[in-house]
Amino acid sequence: MSSHLRSLVDWLDDRTGVRSLLHEALYERVPGGARWRYVWGSTLVIAFVAQMITGTFLWMAYSPSTQTAWESVFYIQYEMPGGWLLRGLHHYMAHAMVVLLAIHFAQVVWDGAYRAPRELNFVIGVALMLVVFGLSLTGYLLPWDQKGYWATSVGTNLASQAPIVGPEVKKLAIGGVDYGHHTLTRFLALHAGVLPGLLIALLVPHIALFRRHGLHATEPLKGPDAMFWPDQLLKDSVAALGVLAAVLALTIYSGEAELTAPADPATPYNAARPEWYFLFLFQFLKWFPGELEVWGAFVIPGAVVTLLFLMPWIGRSRGGHLFNVGLLVVLLGGIILLTAQAIRDDYFATWYERTEANSDKYDASQAFLDAKQEAEHEAERVIALAQSPEKIPPTGALTLMAEDPFLQGPKLFTQHCAGCHTHEVDGRHKFDIEFDPKEFSRTAQNFGLNLVEIISPKPTAPNLWGVGDKLWMQSFMSPQLITDRNHFGYENSPFAQGEMVSFIQEAHGEELSEEERKAVDEAFASISIALWLDAGTTRLVHPDGLKELEEQATRGRELIAGGLAEVLESGMSCIDCHKYHDEGELGSAPDLTGYMSREWMIEFIRNPASERFYGEYNDRMPAFAPHDDPRMNQLDDKAIGLIVDWLRGDWVMPETVEAPLSD
Amino acid sequence: MKEAKTARTEIKTVSWNRRTFFEMLAAVVAGGVAIATPLVAGVVTFLSPLLKKNTSPKVRVALLSQIPDDGMPRSFPIVADHVDAWTKYPEQRIGSVYLVRNKGEAEPIALTAKCPHAGCFIGYKPGDDLFRCPCHTSAFKLDGSRERGDAEVAPRGMDRLPVELRSVASADDNEAVEVWIEFIDFQTGHKEAIRTA
Ligand code: FES
Repeated sequence: MSSHLRSLVDWLDDRTGVRSLLHEALYERVPGGARWRYVWGSTLVIAFVAQMITGTFLWMAYSPSTQTAWESVFYIQYEMPGGWLLRGLHHYMAHAMVVLLAIHFAQVVWDGAYRAPRELNFVIGVALMLVVFGLSLTGYLLPWDQKGYWATSVGTNLASQAPIVGPEVKKLAIGGVDYGHHTLTRFLALHAGVLPGLLIALLVPHIALFRRHGLHATEPLKGPDAMFWPDQLLKDSVAALGVLAAVLALTIYSGEAELTAPADPATPYNAARPEWYFLFLFQFLKWFPGELEVWGAFVIPGAVVTLLFLMPWIGRSRGGHLFNVGLLVVLLGGIILLTAQAIRDDYFATWYERTEANSDKYDASQAFLDAKQEAEHEAERVIALAQSPEKIPPTGALTLMAEDPFLQGPKLFTQHCAGCHTHEVDGRHKFDIEFDPKEFSRTAQNFGLNLVEIISPKPTAPNLWGVGDKLWMQSFMSPQLITDRNHFGYENSPFAQGEMVSFIQEAHGEELSEEERKAVDEAFASISIALWLDAGTTRLVHPDGLKELEEQATRGRELIAGGLAEVLESGMSCIDCHKYHDEGELGSAPDLTGYMSREWMIEFIRNPASERFYGEYNDRMPAFAPHDDPRMNQLDDKAIGLIVDWLRGDWVMPETVEAPLSD
Repeated sequence: MKEAKTARTEIKTVSWNRRTFFEMLAAVVAGGVAIATPLVAGVVTFLSPLLKKNTSPKVRVALLSQIPDDGMPRSFPIVADHVDAWTKYPEQRIGSVYLVRNKGEAEPIALTAKCPHAGCFIGYKPGDDLFRCPCHTSAFKLDGSRERGDAEVAPRGMDRLPVELRSVASADDNEAVEVWIEFIDFQTGHKEAIRTA
């Protein structure tokens, strides 16, 4: 050491006594030499330090309010460089801490290391364990996503069932009568301030007492005594590195710590589960019907924790120690069993066939799996929207979801339309590609290709898949397709033998010469193109392709407006029944002006029996919003707009991609 | 050097007299107040949620014509203004009810979707003859009672909400019947339905 440095250290030592402190800290005697089995306590300390570091940096980017919590976590995870790593480390290190804690605790009990004079330190240790659980519970809510929200809601509802003070405790915990801003501010204060403070306040005496009593060496000693520094510290550091490696591997392997869709009190999350290490408690509760709940939620867990605190005194005799070890084994075994059972219940449907006997179990599991997939699908979409150049509005990401046809369309359709209409990918469109469900939704949202199927078992109205697109128009001009079940051939359709059908069939009559047939086909092809372009469902078409189509459409428009009469034997054309711009009359068939355009469809759903549409020929379809006074209507304009946009495949696409089908 | 140290740590006894007693008292009081005041201010604010009361808004949920008397549950969102601390959300979805109208009944019954066990969202699949809670497998019949009675995890059946029918006439001389419900929040986990306060 250079003399300058030495004098600096001397100066410091004179004022602080740092040398003896350091000596005290490092030159601890390790009886029997350093061993790997002594590393667990240290790894916990290091894991906690890691949590403090990552937590502090996360805190710098986190904003606790219902409109910003999910949003800021999203930003950390997806926009800030390295954010995914930071959050992943914090997330998985929390898991690692629980595992390390279990090992540390089991070892202490097994070795009887709680015996005098270490009783007090054991008690502090159990308290520390509870603080760590508290950190985990509070941390789960902070992203304010569906998963955390619903799990916490169940947790705090359970707390409210505690005898006497329950409801008050719940109010204090969530900062009011409902979950909201103050739930987040309180949970953050607990998670980042109160609990870590408490943890440090307990950890300092825990370590100090540990030093005072010395390491509890396990007999037989393997060799001569060694010093903490560097022998044991090296092993500790290597173990800590191992833990970090595992956590890193998990972070990278899993891609990222999960962030589900933003919390929405009005949308159930049927896959709400606590973090895996609390699954056993969740499963345990299923055993206590009705009011016996208090036993499952408070009495038994309370008794177990009390027993843990009393372990050092119970373990004073040999029999007592055996009891403690027995308790430990039963607890760990029970936890493992319950956890396995919980997982088996949830994933039952993936592992077993459905039978009469297990149908309830199977269906419950299937519902869980569906909900989970649905939740992933929603999360993926809302994240994609938040990443789009539009970003998140000031009202928060929930608004993004509420106003998104891609997410809301299927729900509204199921609720209001699927009683009669089906939404099935029409057989002729089945894509050759096998989509796995995740890929499927991604493809759908990226391409504005509406691939979500909502199948009605006995449809009594047309299949609305691909409504207004090119094929839809073509089908209504095709003598075969117009009468299939996807169009006018659905069950009990009055249109199956209607005038449109006979008009189309006659127009393609068998006695046509080759040349005439060609002219007819060409005419109808042009008409479908014209209708299609006017409907505006052409977002998948390349602009160059669209320009070419425009020529054909011009011809088509002339044909609709009367020109068709010259091509057809019958001398009839569209405007004999339909109105088209200034030609034709309303009253006998729907208006073809802007047929299946957004405006047309909205008006149609509002009142299909109006003169502009089917009038008196309307087949059973209810008028969803016929009145000017919104109170009288079943659906508001926003909902109708969402349904229409979804049917038409009109939604924000997260990224500009080459259209997959460009014909 | 050593002697000096001992001298310093030697404990001086205080001779008791009236003046020192008041000195000590003043020290304790002054210090106590200095610490307690901020503490009390904090605790009062912290406890303030206890004063908050739950309101049970009356809400229009549907038109009667949307609930045919086929005994099938239909789910409707509860839309009402919602205040969360400093934010007011106009027309926010704050929950969900199932309306069921049995054959020949003029009025539907309303069942809140919040599970009486621990508050999960009870689900219903069209066509099913049971409501099912996704969390701890409670099942309820379509009238809200527990499928397996006391063997069910839920301590009571689904909570019914008071229903009121109101007719409205619009400017264009049409009449419609609206279904209103009082959206009451009940405590979970008890045999009886107790309102959350
Ligand atoms: S919350 Fe419904 S069964 Fe537990």
